[in-house]
Amino acid sequence: MTTRREFLAGTLAAAGAAALTPRSSGAAPKSMSVVHESSFIKPFDDFFVKTLAPEYEKLTGIKMNYEPVSVGGMLTRLTTMAETKSGPEITATGINWPHLFDNSLVDVTDVAGEIGKKLGGWHEIVQDVVVVNKKWKALPWGNIGQLENYRTDWFKEVGVTKFPETWEDLLAAGRLLKKKGHPFGFELGHGFGDNHGWLYPLLWSYGGREVDRDGKTVLIDSSETAAAVDFCRRFFKETMLEDVLGWTDVNNNKAFLGEQISCTNNASSILVVAKRDFPEIGKVTDHALNPHGPKGRFHVLNAQSHAIMTYASDVKAAKDFLRWLYDDKQLSRWLIAGDAYYAPFLHAYDNHAMWNPEPRYMPYKEALKTSRYHAWPGPVGHAASESVAKYVLVDMFAKACRGDSTKDVIATAAGQLKQIYKTKV
Amino acid sequence: MAVGPASIARPAPTTGRPLSLRGVLEREGVFSWAMLAPGVLFLLAFVAYPFFYGIFLSFQDRRVASPGTFVGLANFVALAQDPVFWQVARNTFIYTIAATALKMVGGLGMALVMNQQFRGKNLARAFLLLPFIVPTVLSTVAWMWILDPTFSVINWSLLHSGLMTQTFSWLGNATLAMVSIIAVNTWRGLPFYGITLLAGLQTISPDLYEAAAMDGATLAQRFWHITIPVLKPVLVIVTMFSVIFTFSDFQLVYILTHGGPANATHLFATYAFDIGMSAGVLGMGAAVALAMLPPLALLIVALTLYLRRE
Repeated sequence: MTTRREFLAGTLAAAGAAALTPRSSGAAPKSMSVVHESSFIKPFDDFFVKTLAPEYEKLTGIKMNYEPVSVGGMLTRLTTMAETKSGPEITATGINWPHLFDNSLVDVTDVAGEIGKKLGGWHEIVQDVVVVNKKWKALPWGNIGQLENYRTDWFKEVGVTKFPETWEDLLAAGRLLKKKGHPFGFELGHGFGDNHGWLYPLLWSYGGREVDRDGKTVLIDSSETAAAVDFCRRFFKETMLEDVLGWTDVNNNKAFLGEQISCTNNASSILVVAKRDFPEIGKVTDHALNPHGPKGRFHVLNAQSHAIMTYASDVKAAKDFLRWLYDDKQLSRWLIAGDAYYAPFLHAYDNHAMWNPEPRYMPYKEALKTSRYHAWPGPVGHAASESVAKYVLVDMFAKACRGDSTKDVIATAAGQLKQIYKTKV
Repeated sequence: MAVGPASIARPAPTTGRPLSLRGVLEREGVFSWAMLAPGVLFLLAFVAYPFFYGIFLSFQDRRVASPGTFVGLANFVALAQDPVFWQVARNTFIYTIAATALKMVGGLGMALVMNQQFRGKNLARAFLLLPFIVPTVLSTVAWMWILDPTFSVINWSLLHSGLMTQTFSWLGNATLAMVSIIAVNTWRGLPFYGITLLAGLQTISPDLYEAAAMDGATLAQRFWHITIPVLKPVLVIVTMFSVIFTFSDFQLVYILTHGGPANATHLFATYAFDIGMSAGVLGMGAAVALAMLPPLALLIVALTLYLRRE
């Protein structure tokens, strides 16, 4: 029998031997990894794993691993990767992350230029979030839009055959629908997307802004913001359930598919799931652009992109892979597998076959023209993220909905924003 | 006599032997440290390093993936001016005090019942442990459904039994959301109290109860004058652990409400995570997390002093 001393001696010897063994090194990597947030569209992930990765391995001998991260967990994963300087060589990014992780991401301006030249050029709006100090830090493949998802049958029941064009008209329709037992459900809680997805556009469409372009002048305390807050309070009280104040991102999907609400703001995942699991609901679900406010119509920009980590041992190999992936032969098929969930930022896809099978996804393409990054028109970097993570805007509206005065909620938000943007409180 | 690792090791050979790994390990001092090393290294790597690194970060303006700059107490000053921080502090104290009190009373009741003889006692004990055994994330997802406005079994029962005419918004109403997370934490932590106190109860000699009964002590007198005094040290220790776990709770709140509605259920841990990981403001996030230290340290010192005095 092994004694404790023998075990210890053996372990130390083995550990020492392992530490002294030289690591093998080669010119080209045998494998690389890509980390992505799990897609709501499972075939999108499957297509990478079952089709794209094997094809690339056959072509180059490099095995591509696909590491999915649970929904909502990608930012934490990326933070860990950047801080520890280890993990997958290629990462997916969203919202304004290329600005947050600027120091950890490789300049891919050359690849972006080549792709843009081949595929009709990039939509200008996406450059706000992926170009940092004139360098492309990520290559966008598509936007996850946040639009109106509604029940056509219930809207028809109250005489609304076309989705309302303005917030006021939507409020009027919502009043009728709530009376009929079909309230609206727009998230006002601490989720990660469906709250900001409609509250930023609402604020902007009334002319309200968090902060000015200079990143120093906090603009939230304005009559335009007050108008948006007052509207939101009425919209909540007259059309919605109280529960929306505590909702996170899963709740509106569940409520819509549970036939509890007639309208919400969401990505196209509700229709995707409805068509698959609740075909009867799928038949009477449609999408529309966010309504107009007095100062225009807006949507949030959530560009999904690929970036290369600076710690990657072979940056050239990673760039080569992205060049191959963003070639039309691959990208086109992958976007089709994604069921139009991602609206591409390349003009070659403006009228692509991916939009043909389901015309109800078209508003997600149209929304690109009026999409803005969170905290627009202020700077897109760290302070914007801090405001989003602290739910400054969401809580301003939520507190008004639960009964706080417009003046108080705006004053609180202004105080928080001044602290975040380091201006005088 | 104190018995340390060195004294239980075999005596080191005194005769001269060639220097070998085995020979070195035979020495008491070396062997003792070799045995202690894994534990010490583990504590250094996973407790001491993160703790001191957290303190270091809290004095920096440190954004994710960027070098930090020393800012002294600026993060703490900023927090002191942040109304959400004070709301978070208030939430955490309410949550901890209410949940701990409920767990203490409920756990004691559970232990007293489990200490009785009845059919199926072992099965009942096993079932009572379930909330503690099931991973928090899993059980909290089940609670999400239980408290969901559409599918809530509680709302359905209240509505269909005629007790209520309209349903509650368990997670949408600020007060009810706090009540809900306290209830779920109590449900999950009750078995910890129950089983620990049961172990304490089983150390009480039945002779004490018999003697008290012969002297005419009532059930309540036996409880207050025998059970409680004997259980007190266990109760103090288990309360200390429970307060630490509850004060720094994260998973439950993060899954159920993510601190909403309008920060009504945000705790130190969830707020620190949002600032540090979601906003990428690592220095400020560390400062929020460190804010948990003074109250917990005070509590631990107070309870330890109390135990010593006892």
